[in-house]
Amino acid sequence: MEHFIRNQISNRKKAFVFFVASLLLFAILMGRLFYLCVICSGYYTKEAQELHERERAIKAARGIIYDCNGVVLATNQAVCTISVIHSQVEDKEAVIACLTKELSLSEEYVTRRVEKYTSIEKVKSNVPKEIGDRIRKYNLKGIKVDEDYKRYYPYDELASKVIGFTGGDNQGIIGLEVEYESYLKGTDGTILAMTDARGVELRLEGERRIEPIAGDDLYISIDRNIQQYATQLALQAMETKEADGVSIIVMNPVNGEILAMVDVPEFNLNEPFTLTDSQISSEIIQDELNKMWRNGCINDTYEPGSTFKIITAAAALEEGVVTVNDSFYCPGYVVVEDRRIRCHKTTGHGSEDFVTATMNSCNPVFITVGLRLGAKVFYNYFEKFGLFEKTGIDLPGEAGTIMHKLENIGMVELATVAFGQSFQVTPIQLLSTAAMIVNGGTRITPHLGVKAVDSITGEVTTFQYQTTENVLSRETSETMQYILEKVVSEGTGKNGAVEGYSIGGKTATSQTLPRGSGRYIASYIGFTPADNPELIAIAIVENPKGVYYGGQVAAPIIRQLFENILPYLDRKDYN
Amino acid sequence: MKNRKKKVLFFDYSLLFVVLVLIIFGLVMIYSTSSYEANLEYKDAAYYLKKQLFATVLGIVVMVLLARIDYRFWEKFAIWGIIISAILIVLVKSPLGRTVNGASRWIYIGSLSIQPAEVAKIAVILFMASILSRIGKKGIQKFKGIVTVLILPIIIAGMVYALTQNLSSAIIIAGIAIVMWFVASPDYKKFVILLTLVVIVAAVGIYLAHSDILGFRGERIKAWLDPEAYASGTGFQTLQALYAIGSGGLFGKGIGQSLQKLGFIPEAQNDMIFSIICEELGLAGAIAVLVLFIILIWRCMVIANNAQDLFGALLVTGVMAHFAIQVILNVAVVTNTIPNTGITLPFISYGGTSMLFLLAEIGLVLSVGRGISFEEPNE
Repeated sequence: MEHFIRNQISNRKKAFVFFVASLLLFAILMGRLFYLCVICSGYYTKEAQELHERERAIKAARGIIYDCNGVVLATNQAVCTISVIHSQVEDKEAVIACLTKELSLSEEYVTRRVEKYTSIEKVKSNVPKEIGDRIRKYNLKGIKVDEDYKRYYPYDELASKVIGFTGGDNQGIIGLEVEYESYLKGTDGTILAMTDARGVELRLEGERRIEPIAGDDLYISIDRNIQQYATQLALQAMETKEADGVSIIVMNPVNGEILAMVDVPEFNLNEPFTLTDSQISSEIIQDELNKMWRNGCINDTYEPGSTFKIITAAAALEEGVVTVNDSFYCPGYVVVEDRRIRCHKTTGHGSEDFVTATMNSCNPVFITVGLRLGAKVFYNYFEKFGLFEKTGIDLPGEAGTIMHKLENIGMVELATVAFGQSFQVTPIQLLSTAAMIVNGGTRITPHLGVKAVDSITGEVTTFQYQTTENVLSRETSETMQYILEKVVSEGTGKNGAVEGYSIGGKTATSQTLPRGSGRYIASYIGFTPADNPELIAIAIVENPKGVYYGGQVAAPIIRQLFENILPYLDRKDYN
Repeated sequence: MKNRKKKVLFFDYSLLFVVLVLIIFGLVMIYSTSSYEANLEYKDAAYYLKKQLFATVLGIVVMVLLARIDYRFWEKFAIWGIIISAILIVLVKSPLGRTVNGASRWIYIGSLSIQPAEVAKIAVILFMASILSRIGKKGIQKFKGIVTVLILPIIIAGMVYALTQNLSSAIIIAGIAIVMWFVASPDYKKFVILLTLVVIVAAVGIYLAHSDILGFRGERIKAWLDPEAYASGTGFQTLQALYAIGSGGLFGKGIGQSLQKLGFIPEAQNDMIFSIICEELGLAGAIAVLVLFIILIWRCMVIANNAQDLFGALLVTGVMAHFAIQVILNVAVVTNTIPNTGITLPFISYGGTSMLFLLAEIGLVLSVGRGISFEEPNE
């Protein structure tokens, strides 16, 4: 054992050197740990949290839509969203059986969902709450039942094309629902649940909830009672006249608030994807749906016909090319260039002044007046009246006016434009312009939205709309009130008269293109009181059978409407 | 013999205490890191704890035995240790071997599994201590002496790398050999040159990997430089460890509260256990663990420097080098200070063979320590 030599000084020194070197490396590692645990802690903590947390959205309740009396037109219903979490499913067969039965889905579809390897897979949304509760009672692992909201419209078809509806994610699709999306939508909340690497939620860690914020409530100018009554009248007219459709708009001509907007046939807002008549193939279903959802009052244009004489008269009076006392002679036709344009009364109205001519809706007189104005001046008035712009109504998809280009307007075109033919406008545009002419000359923006109220703070956002004063002189406006009152009291608009109220109005009967098809559009614009209008309404009956004159078909609709709603509005004001 | 027995006045209780604290802490951490996954996989939260506890008890028995046996007894088996480890390493490729995760690192004898690389470490320590103390200060400075000393450990390291695909164990074995050679040799110059060479090779390697010359072989280095760019592949484990360490902060989430151990860090009880220590106990807990290891290494140095003979001193130096290298490399990997390679944390990471042989090494150190007398004999 003599080779067990003694440890030497140099060995001790070197062991110490190694120890010190190790110490140095330990110190470096501690520095590194300090850097990671303290300096980078915020970053890594955040990253790790994102890794551990799984988000599930909690849908925010959409804002409620109220009418001007506080009646709920659109609200929310509690529904459930059913999902499966693949990694948590224990009894796959039972899960598939349960979901197939309760959700009445095909077994194949459910199996595919359950077997899909994702952290969370949506099986069905908008499931009624009772079914959701029933599924919960099965107590099967891996099925997730999340509370959710579905839009519900208490009046089904009422104002369907105005209110609009929402899609699967509660987003607005048409109408006010899409126009006021940013107010109604609200902010979705989230459930942040801690999970392990497999995506299994950790019960002990609990959930972090960010509560959803409900959307703002929307108050609109529609009056449910008036809307309901107008709808009834429209349906009645459509039925008795076998018409293709009937539109009615009721508006306050002073501020532009729309009290009713009807465009029958309407559709059930709670089942917007169910076609009213369903004998069509799947390819054209979307087209048919779009047609069904179309709001004729703003999305479509038509040839206004004689109601447009309101505008021609106002322009001519304003320009001074005619006065109420100017006398005319109607032989039953008028020759413009080489064309002989007939009056609707082929025997002629004979001698008449401008007021009588309007009462008679005499085409030759209006052609003469239109020619006196000349294309350029007439066109300038259209521009001034705002006919070439959209009205700016708070509904999506408003159509513009279709009018000849100025350089293309010859004498014949000018003549036809003067009595409301050969161009197209939307009903809302015509009504808004008529409102301007009789309200003292102020161009208003027709609208439905009045205010939005924050669901939490109660903060009110009142919507502002553009108005332009003195588009027409007050004098001309008053003259027009007088003439149009005469139209109702003694002229073609007799059927629009309402006992006890002073009514102004103008009828129209326009033949649709192509001419000679026998298809007509009967319409009527009425307002009251005639000398200081507070209410203006338009009725348009598309393709009525039998008698098709505006005075006989459309004017009675507005008369009946006024007969009922005027006393109602008087009472409301009194209260 | 009687005369010597009277001189036995010293037993290093502080070393024993530090080791026991590390073992107990390690068992707690193994339960903390593995219980969730063990419960899911084996329906027994204590599955890994039980296995580790068994190896620990066995290891403590071995340690106590070795502490009582005169370490000089083992000197004559030095060459046999090398031969046995070589055989065990080769057996990995035999039907006794078992391949786990693409690497054949274990051999199974009955229900007992042994990791030959762990056996090789203690064998190399014993062999180096023996040959260095035989060859003497003069011999070690000759080229022939250096070759004689290093040839077998390098072969063993090479076998560990080639046959068991265990680069980290090969590095540790080579590292132990070099440190023991360094301590035994009175020279510095050679080692400074060697260190410089290693640094240059490392720098060139990083440069080549970074500029894509190494292709897929360089991926591990690229993942080291930017783990987030390799988050779904090579850098995954590293990044998950960084999340764990970073989210621990100063004092951690509290013991048992780690989220990263819930499958985000695969087999968190193994190589990456230190990151969970950081997550649960924070910077404070991590530094406390490192301080325990520093005390352990320091006690080894004290024992080595007071050993009765060069063989004992070098034996303890080898153990000290083993602990120092393995702890430093493990923490460096976990904190992404160096590229990722599988190294366990002594006494704390899960692994029976490792625990058994580490405790055996401590037994040897305690045995050397017992020989120290308070009265320093005159030089």
